[in-house]
Amino acid sequence: PGRWGSSNMAAPVQARKTVEFFYDVLSPYTWLAFEVMCRYQQKWNIDLKLRPFFLAGIMKGADNRPPAMVPAKGQYMTKDVLMLTDMYKVPFNWPSNPTEVMFVKGSVNAGRFLTTVDMNCDQYLEELTRQLFLRIYYRDEDITEPASLLSAAMKAGIPEDLAKQLLSTIKDQTVKDRLRETTQTALDYGAFGSPTIVAHVDGKPKMFFGSDRFELMAHMLGEKWHGPLPELAKAKI
Amino acid sequence: MADADKKVIELFYDTISPYSWIAFEVLCRYRSRWNIDLRLRPFSLAAVVTETGNSPPGRVPAKLKWMGKDLMRQAYFYKIPFRGRKDPNNDMANKHNINVMLLLTAVTMDCPQHLESLTRELWLRFWSREEDITQPASLEAAATAAGIPADQTAALLAKLQDETVKARLTETTQEALRHGAFGAPTIVAHVGGKPHMYWGSDRFLLIADVLGEEWQGPLTELAHL
Repeated sequence: PGRWGSSNMAAPVQARKTVEFFYDVLSPYTWLAFEVMCRYQQKWNIDLKLRPFFLAGIMKGADNRPPAMVPAKGQYMTKDVLMLTDMYKVPFNWPSNPTEVMFVKGSVNAGRFLTTVDMNCDQYLEELTRQLFLRIYYRDEDITEPASLLSAAMKAGIPEDLAKQLLSTIKDQTVKDRLRETTQTALDYGAFGSPTIVAHVDGKPKMFFGSDRFELMAHMLGEKWHGPLPELAKAKI
Repeated sequence: MADADKKVIELFYDTISPYSWIAFEVLCRYRSRWNIDLRLRPFSLAAVVTETGNSPPGRVPAKLKWMGKDLMRQAYFYKIPFRGRKDPNNDMANKHNINVMLLLTAVTMDCPQHLESLTRELWLRFWSREEDITQPASLEAAATAAGIPADQTAALLAKLQDETVKARLTETTQEALRHGAFGAPTIVAHVGGKPHMYWGSDRFLLIADVLGEEWQGPLTELAHL
């Protein structure tokens, strides 16, 4: 009682800036961007919101094509992803059949599973996302079958009965609708690929595509870019 | 520092490409910070795109829109006076042509000491002041503004359609293609006897790493403009 220097005289704390991360686990550059954003959550005054979307829907909505359809570009990207993930200490390995993984098997079930977790228990969303990336792009494992999704969920720390219950919802209309809505929200922000990052600065959304605009993003957020920060790496193998 | 110690970095570029301008200015600034020998290699982006089955990024409307914003942000960040064009797709198709790259090729062959300043002047005309870059009078004005003497300018403009100049532009373009190029800018860093190819103006962290150097940010204090 009667204490001088009470808290309402302190300088107001700068409000955290919301940064929305729209992503599909099918995209290698997206894993890189995801890990970087998770590390920078601890360094920047941001509120990171993970927004799982459906890349095939983005490609269709924006009338875009996968980049590897140009052979020389595909060859370059194969090396580029390895160089970048090595520098950033993300344990990336190309799957034995990337075409099958990316264009045949796809990510609709994984997207819906991430969505239902986002809707029901989003405290697990970050780690579930990581476990799905580790499956597809570290251990060359499936991410389409229910058993695969269950395994990822349990590795993410989701209790087994909750994981099974969440899995049972992935064909619910509410979950399908939510994934479609998130995808449309990204398209409305101007998305044409993954990752699409939207930083809200002074009430205005600033959209960034890709995993190579972090220094610029830092500048626009009024923050400092410290490079890859491998000491904050969370992907444990 | 002996020149032999310097690591050769080749910048394959076309003045039609705004991202190439960013790479050009950054590498020019880093000549005073990194132990590099920067070699400017004007090439034909149109030929590279055709040969590799690529398509210009502006084909996807949402991507074109984003690129416009991205370039303005990068221009501000790197302090490069890029101002865009009202109709970039149309202008890149109709208001830029191979004569520009032939002129830069002729300069490479006859008076390479003017290559950097003429390259910069052409980018300023096309991407900063939205001026013509196709008429002989425009090319003459650019050469003059770049400090090329009048008689040298006249000689350069007279030889644009020479077979030797066309052959040299084709050779340079083929060299880039052999390095795996599919777009612009294409940067090749030669380290330990091996070429390391990078596409775009956003791989400087990787390039610094392969050179054993440190990225020091946009170095706007070294801006030429």
